[in-house]
Amino acid sequence: MAGETRPLDEDIGHLEMENQQAIDDSRRPSDARNPEFTVYQVRQRLRLRFTGTGGQYFRIWIVNLFLTVLTLGIYSAWAKVRTRRYFYAHTLLADLPFDYRANPWFILRGNLILGFGLLLFLALESFRPVYSGVVLAAFYAFLPFLIYKSLRFNAYNSTYRNLRFRFRGSLKESYNTYLFIPLLIPLTLGLIFPYWVFRRKKYFFENFTFGRSPNTYTGSAGPFYQVYGITGLMVILLAVVAGGGVFFFVPQPHGLALGLDDMDRFFTLLPVAGFLVAMTAFTCIQQFLFARLTNYCWDRTSVEGLCFNSSLTVGNLLWLRLTNLLGIIFSMGLLIPWARVRRARYLVGSLILFSDRSLDTFAAAEQSAESAIGEAATGFFDIDIGL
Amino acid sequence: MNTFTGTYLDGRSSKPVQVGITFEGTTLRLQDCTAVSPDIVVPLQNCSATPPLGGTRRSLILPGGARCETRDAELLALVDSHRGPAGSVRIVNFLESGWKTALACLLGLFLCLWGFVAAGIPFLAKMAAVAVPAAVTDRLSRQTLAVLDTRFLEPSELGADRSAHLQNLFHGLVDRKRSPANYRLELRKSDQVGANAFALPSGLIVMTDELVGLAANDRELIGVLAHEIAHVENRHGLRVLFQNAGTLLLVSALAGDMSSISAAGETLPTLLIESGYSRRFEKEADRAAGTYLIRMGWGTSSLQNILARLAKTAPIHPAFALFSTHPDLEERIGYLKKMDRTR
Repeated sequence: MAGETRPLDEDIGHLEMENQQAIDDSRRPSDARNPEFTVYQVRQRLRLRFTGTGGQYFRIWIVNLFLTVLTLGIYSAWAKVRTRRYFYAHTLLADLPFDYRANPWFILRGNLILGFGLLLFLALESFRPVYSGVVLAAFYAFLPFLIYKSLRFNAYNSTYRNLRFRFRGSLKESYNTYLFIPLLIPLTLGLIFPYWVFRRKKYFFENFTFGRSPNTYTGSAGPFYQVYGITGLMVILLAVVAGGGVFFFVPQPHGLALGLDDMDRFFTLLPVAGFLVAMTAFTCIQQFLFARLTNYCWDRTSVEGLCFNSSLTVGNLLWLRLTNLLGIIFSMGLLIPWARVRRARYLVGSLILFSDRSLDTFAAAEQSAESAIGEAATGFFDIDIGL
Repeated sequence: MNTFTGTYLDGRSSKPVQVGITFEGTTLRLQDCTAVSPDIVVPLQNCSATPPLGGTRRSLILPGGARCETRDAELLALVDSHRGPAGSVRIVNFLESGWKTALACLLGLFLCLWGFVAAGIPFLAKMAAVAVPAAVTDRLSRQTLAVLDTRFLEPSELGADRSAHLQNLFHGLVDRKRSPANYRLELRKSDQVGANAFALPSGLIVMTDELVGLAANDRELIGVLAHEIAHVENRHGLRVLFQNAGTLLLVSALAGDMSSISAAGETLPTLLIESGYSRRFEKEADRAAGTYLIRMGWGTSSLQNILARLAKTAPIHPAFALFSTHPDLEERIGYLKKMDRTR
């Protein structure tokens, strides 16, 4: 199984020292303010480790589902926090866990407001279709604000070694990224789409920080165009192959009796086969994009003497996806927790941190008590944005 | 005196400090193992511990934002005994702790879902349907008819006498009803729809010329009209609307949690549940029509006959049989026959 092919059994919680020369100097972060960098001249190679298990998570998951249904959805806020806390707290870096500390009441408040908005929209759509468009437009105008707040909320509530993460992105940049650039997509016939993806990644990787300094993100739009170019070529190739296949396999009516029967069967099977091919192709492309873009973005991100290497492979991701999907289908959904744990284990295990300094030397960013309260209370919208 | 161990993190720097923790009556003393920083003494009553969660490590939450991670069960029990987790947290922990309770939750989940689909959604939809004001259903029905008129329906080609006769039959059925519905019979011709009749929520009932042509006598048409009137009377149209919305909401809420399953997996249960609801309503309308026919002393055979003829004009494709909203013909006719026998 893909998740297990990685060398997870080696004792990756330990620090592995590597000679500085062995590492590509171009990617080495330089941080002159950090004295340890100049003193020791060594670089630590740290692997992240995921220690959660499917059995444990299954019990949390099923209790969450049960209580959510029993409380007509109210509990979902608590379920969300517990789930995220489970996954964070089982992710270890240098043998110390991450943590997630959001207050479920704020998430519940956000859920209620969004749910009310959705009901309003559905009601208007049935009885006053004209106004539902207005509500939809208002939602899109509001969305960058929600995303901005959500990122801040999640960063503020994520901790490592009892230090909070921070999201430093601005509201203005959120509006640029999530409202104005998408508006340009139709005008540019979609050519700007890879650039949009690049900007979304940049907004996250540049601003989700630990410690006091901002992140450095050196990624550019070029590789995004390259990856999407390859994707486009794959789609065209697939269309040609599929079209050729249909043409080649279309039964020729030799004898009338046989021919009609074959034709009938062919046209019954065609939509099914087409659906399967399209789903497979979609999954492949999805995993390809995910692997390439995730690897690229981590490789180009550094913060205060730390940089990253993500080594996801398309093959492993596809195998993971396929086996997970089959497991979920044949267990009628009961294997979902195992699938999630396997995926988390692979994703976490694929990320390596290079550190020119000791992880002990980070300091909490200064934050007035007032803004801390604002962060916890107003950033209540917890939207999962596809990063 | 017991000494416990832990990893102290002050919340200002990322440096972990290994500490020994001693319990001194009402306070905890944290001693740096490397003896670099001075001891920290905190009253036990100001400490709490993070709630347990599936094998994750727990921490003491100390005053001032510091934390101390510990794997010492005894120490955690000590802190919990002073300021234990809330009752609700304890219930959740109990449920998550073992396989038996987890399986009980799974069973409970199925029961809840079944109850909700079988009783909860229909009940809520009924309440909602009753609450919709007549003005809204009127406008909704008129708009729907306008759309149908432009797309599928043409003006009726029945003569004035025949139309007047049908209107008389219809009024005979509805005039005695003390119902808020605004009953009206509209006759239309349609090659596309064929022999059919349907009811819109306000009491607007549409019958096609083709259906009128299919009927051998007035009683058959009365049976069909009584069936449609029952749909209006019981607000089936709006209830189906609300039930489908509710089902969609429920299924997508569940599937949202199972986001790895594609949209195809989402539509199937929705379709199945929806067709189940509609079958129930068809049966209810059949029963109402049958009761009326029996009360008139005619028996249900006229309705049975036209149903059988209707089925012949529009045979159901076997692939769609599973999703057909009208219960199987045999089942419906069998039900009507049974009504005849038990009258």
